Amino acid sequence: MSPSTPPKGSPWQSRALATTLILGAASAGLYFLLFLYADRFAAIAQATHEGHKLYALIPIAIAMVFSFVHGAFTGQFWDLLGLRAKK
Amino acid sequence: MENLNFIDLTYTTAVILFLVGFVGGMVSGFIGSGGAFVLTPAMMSLGVPGVVAVASNMAHKFPKALVGAHKRNKYGQVDIKLGVVLGIFAEAGVLFGKHLMVGIKESFGAAGTNLYVSVVFVVVLGIVGSLVLRDAIKEKRGEATAKATTELPPLTRWVRSINIPWTMIYFKSMDARVSVLFLAPMGFATGLLAATIAVGGFIGVPAMMYFLGLPALIASATELVIAFVMGLGGTFFYALDGYVDIRLAMIILGGSLFGIQIGAIGTTYVKDYVVKFVMAAIMLLVLVSRFFYIPGYLSELGSIATMDTGTRGLLDGAGLGALAFALIFGATMILLALYKGMRDHRLAQAAAPAAAPAVPAAASAGAQLSPTGRFERFLVASDGSEFSAAAVREALSMAGKCGAQVHVMSLVATGVEHEALGESILKQELATAQAHLDGIAVQAKAAGVACETHLVQGNQIDREIVDLAERVNADVIVMGRRGRRGLARLMLGHATAQVIGLAHCNVLVVPRAAHVEGRHILVATDGSRFADAAAVTAGNLARVCGTPITVTSVHKPSYGPERRAEAEEAVARVVAHMQGQGTAAEGRVIDGDPAEAIATLARGQGADLIVTGSHGRTGLERVLLGSTSERILNETPCAVLVVKAA
Repeated sequence: MSPSTPPKGSPWQSRALATTLILGAASAGLYFLLFLYADRFAAIAQATHEGHKLYALIPIAIAMVFSFVHGAFTGQFWDLLGLRAKK
Repeated sequence: MENLNFIDLTYTTAVILFLVGFVGGMVSGFIGSGGAFVLTPAMMSLGVPGVVAVASNMAHKFPKALVGAHKRNKYGQVDIKLGVVLGIFAEAGVLFGKHLMVGIKESFGAAGTNLYVSVVFVVVLGIVGSLVLRDAIKEKRGEATAKATTELPPLTRWVRSINIPWTMIYFKSMDARVSVLFLAPMGFATGLLAATIAVGGFIGVPAMMYFLGLPALIASATELVIAFVMGLGGTFFYALDGYVDIRLAMIILGGSLFGIQIGAIGTTYVKDYVVKFVMAAIMLLVLVSRFFYIPGYLSELGSIATMDTGTRGLLDGAGLGALAFALIFGATMILLALYKGMRDHRLAQAAAPAAAPAVPAAASAGAQLSPTGRFERFLVASDGSEFSAAAVREALSMAGKCGAQVHVMSLVATGVEHEALGESILKQELATAQAHLDGIAVQAKAAGVACETHLVQGNQIDREIVDLAERVNADVIVMGRRGRRGLARLMLGHATAQVIGLAHCNVLVVPRAAHVEGRHILVATDGSRFADAAAVTAGNLARVCGTPITVTSVHKPSYGPERRAEAEEAVARVVAHMQGQGTAAEGRVIDGDPAEAIATLARGQGADLIVTGSHGRTGLERVLLGSTSERILNETPCAVLVVKAA
């Protein structure tokens, strides 16, 4: 652990662990769905290419959701492990 | 209609993409520019057509840019107007670039786009990589690479001096008007490059710095707005033709978000030139990698003699090998730098207590104001704004009276959103914050107050404050107030409210115009143990300072008469306790909304300090149940001391 790791028993430690676990589970769930429907996503792209232009919004929405959920998770993850910037 | 040729997503491909994303993210965080120059070629090496690689890369970047721009805007580093104007022109560049790519693909097939992307990579990485390497060598030799001058460069002065009627736009960050005719080509070139190799920042950031004269910090933050505008548009335009392979984009994003933080943190442990050497080495290795592929593409297009399979395989293998070496080299250098830096830092910290000067003597026991609230160590958070200036002023003033020690902290934001924040820019920000802290230390010395400064890097101000308060055993955290209300408070969070909820010690919140002079103290009670703690602290403060005190409880008209009797009893109990301690105290039970009524009474009594307890709620609980303490903070112009029950 880095020297700047919060002291044991600090008030947010259990809170941070719970948040990290929840966000991690949400992120894992999203990636599970991505693999589950991988062929469907490729088919949607092909359908867009062939003229169903409204489908173009799907990858944009997916990118936003993944970025927010997974971004929040990774930020918490390293912090919890004590990897923090030099003070 | 042709097939898009998306690659098959096997577990091996997914793992490789994740690792490539991870290293690309690390590189992004470490060198402060998009790791797309690693990601696009890596995807192409896995067999992804150039146009799909660029499109998917854009899709993984634009949401990160949005989050980054939003966060850095909170620190006042973003010129949104400039970002949007440049972003619109960049969009045109993206659209043109996309048509160019699609046109090349339709005319020459995938080999055509692959060749086009590879040639642009070789040229751009050759130029940028050489410049960075030159800077790194100069820095290593100790030669200055940037002249410290406040004077604008001649090019910037010329750009700002040209006045073309009907085209001038005023930008706050420059405090100058610039013709849109200058901005159009800048934005267009940024967008064109982004649509070609997915890294527009190579043009956008230097252009804003050298043509418009923006500081590097503002330029890199504004680039995030451009990146979002053109990234969103670019993704949409490419997605309209189905070129975004969202599976690849999200797997790369998965690795990239893990890597960025490691890279960004790594920069805080190494010297400037190390970052630049790593950046130049990776860029030049990627250039070499792309270079090996070019003969193969030319052969496919028939521009050179058809290559036999063995030669093609050898060249492609060399290209892939060079890229793999670039990735492994980059990752190893960054992880080694991080490990070595953290180890040295830990050793230095372990050795520090022996060499550190003794902590100034704490206040005498007589100066302690209450058993539940010792006032020996103050922690004041300052960001250099007018809001925190009041907190610093009152902390020094009160510490002078109590003989207390003051710890002053300032936070420099770091995190994923600072992907585009180069290491040298971060150091510039750290230097500014340190200068601000040094100024406060001088003020403290002049006031005869023992003062210690703390420059902290992090991405959650509330958390860093509470963390530091625990480390220095602060008795009181002193904070300013920004006065965010209503929906904005709920949506954006409120660092002060979070600190009140999380801190173990008391929190003094000082609005900009407040002065704590010991005229009159108002203590609010609801009969709870939290309010009792506040009453004990307020009573001790009043006794030591000789200040009159008013004890109040607010009765909501909707409550029954029993509740009013309970309120009167609670007030009488506290008043009796204070009078028993020799303090001039009076009790008042008033009707109305608690926060509003307390604020009105404070104004009527001329109180300069309100003391209240805290239920310690945070997060969803605070949103749902509300916090009287916090609403008092928003309603009143005087300082509020929130006492935490033991």
